[in-house]
Amino acid sequence: MKKFVNDPKDFVPEMLRGIALANPATLRYVPEYNLIMRADAPSENKVSIVQGSGSGHEPAHVMIVGKGMLDAACPGDVFSAPPMDYVLETTKLLNSPKGVLHIINNYTGDRMAFDMGREMAEAEGIRIGTVIVDDDVAVKDSTWTVGRRGVAGNFFVIKAIGAAAEKGAELDDLVALGNRVNAVSRTMGMALTSCTPPAKGSPLFDLGDDEMEMGVGIHGEPGRRREKLASANEIVDELLEAVASDLPFKKGDDVALMVNGLGGTPISELYLVYGRAHAQLTARGINVRRNYVGEYCTSLDMAGCSLTLVRLDEELSSLLEAPAEIPNRIF
Amino acid sequence: MAQEGFDGIELVVRTMAQTAVDNETYFSELDAVVGDGDFGYSLARGFEIVLATWDDLDRSDAATFLRKVAVIITSRVGGTSGPLWGTAFMRAAAAAGSDRIGAAEALAMLRAAITGIKERGQSDVGDKTLLDALVPAVDALEGYLAAGQGAASAVTAAAKVARASAEGTSSMLAKRGRAAYTGERSIGSPDAGAIGVAVMFEQLAGAWPG
Repeated sequence: MKKFVNDPKDFVPEMLRGIALANPATLRYVPEYNLIMRADAPSENKVSIVQGSGSGHEPAHVMIVGKGMLDAACPGDVFSAPPMDYVLETTKLLNSPKGVLHIINNYTGDRMAFDMGREMAEAEGIRIGTVIVDDDVAVKDSTWTVGRRGVAGNFFVIKAIGAAAEKGAELDDLVALGNRVNAVSRTMGMALTSCTPPAKGSPLFDLGDDEMEMGVGIHGEPGRRREKLASANEIVDELLEAVASDLPFKKGDDVALMVNGLGGTPISELYLVYGRAHAQLTARGINVRRNYVGEYCTSLDMAGCSLTLVRLDEELSSLLEAPAEIPNRIF
Repeated sequence: MAQEGFDGIELVVRTMAQTAVDNETYFSELDAVVGDGDFGYSLARGFEIVLATWDDLDRSDAATFLRKVAVIITSRVGGTSGPLWGTAFMRAAAAAGSDRIGAAEALAMLRAAITGIKERGQSDVGDKTLLDALVPAVDALEGYLAAGQGAASAVTAAAKVARASAEGTSSMLAKRGRAAYTGERSIGSPDAGAIGVAVMFEQLAGAWPG
């Protein structure tokens, strides 16, 4: 597999340096703690919002740092949780009188690092709230988790919390809001190919030319099952059924629909997927009020996609609509 | 003015650190039988930094000192050992208080460390972990101190219990940690973490003044 890479162990810092150089006015890179933060954070009048996870999921989460979303992202190495002392130092750097909110995807390594970082930071007098995201309906437990995994639905939790925090919401209210958004978000993904971590240099798992992995995790973890490659419509219908029946989403519901590329699928294919998903939801009497098509939470260069549905209400819709200024832009 | 009893805390941490560094190969060999063989290596990488930065560690009080040690151990010891041992120091720090540290305070700190290890590792006595040496040793320590023994002889007696209990893990089936993956194969060899605790207690017994 051909990749842009120098020394694999510099992969993440080199990426972070690039992001910082591309956004000099708004972002600050702190190499000691592998951290990207808003240049104007922390603010005395706002809860600081921090997300930590492994790298390899860009634009999540280092590229959604900015006004109206994250105040800092604290990434680990590719597919590795950030070390606990980085969590602690990030939390200290972002300390605000209104508190610091940790948003964590439900993976064992991330949770342990953040549990400990939180305990250490609280011992130093910092107020911390935690929101755990676990929107993936594919599997109950996995090689990486106890319970469901946190995947692309994370975007909605961050967007809603970021908008509310910008308006001055208190820490406890933001935790409740995050839990509420997570509770109405459901995702399932599938892989057409494996991904190739830079340090490994070869595909993470073997998937035959005529095979696909339904319910794949964003680190290439096994999903529900491996099967013969099907048509795009058949794949979309299966993902949609798994996601829609889980909450369940019902006739008359207003929803946001996200078609998320896993890193190696062209935009053309993502819109083909979106078209089918949108039409199928409409046929079920479910109203697609907001849509998101593109790369939000990737798995390096994996070909494949995930579908996310979020049940909307008025408050959530307005938080998702609120403006944000993040480096992930095309203008 | 230094917190009374702080020298005891320093002695315990220093002895633990030196023991981990001196026994790197031994602990890894023990772990290789049932685990993945990195226990001694992992532990030594953290504790060698404790020794290297020893003179510069913040000694404002016992809690601050132990929190610094906790950060080093958690972030520099790989695998699950880092969070487990780091949590032990963190919880001991939280229980240290700011007054004189005597026998009662030391026992409270050890109990807090044990609770932290159980919570973080989702494990308990009988799972073939370091808890199978640490818990009986602390129980014994408490008993000897309550019976009026001096600190030095109580630590010596507790070390004997730690050793016997650690050796006793040979007959147990591992239920937690990497060793659990090897299932039945774990029977017949002691748990590396439990032996590690026993050696630390023995070294402490030798180093305790009086």
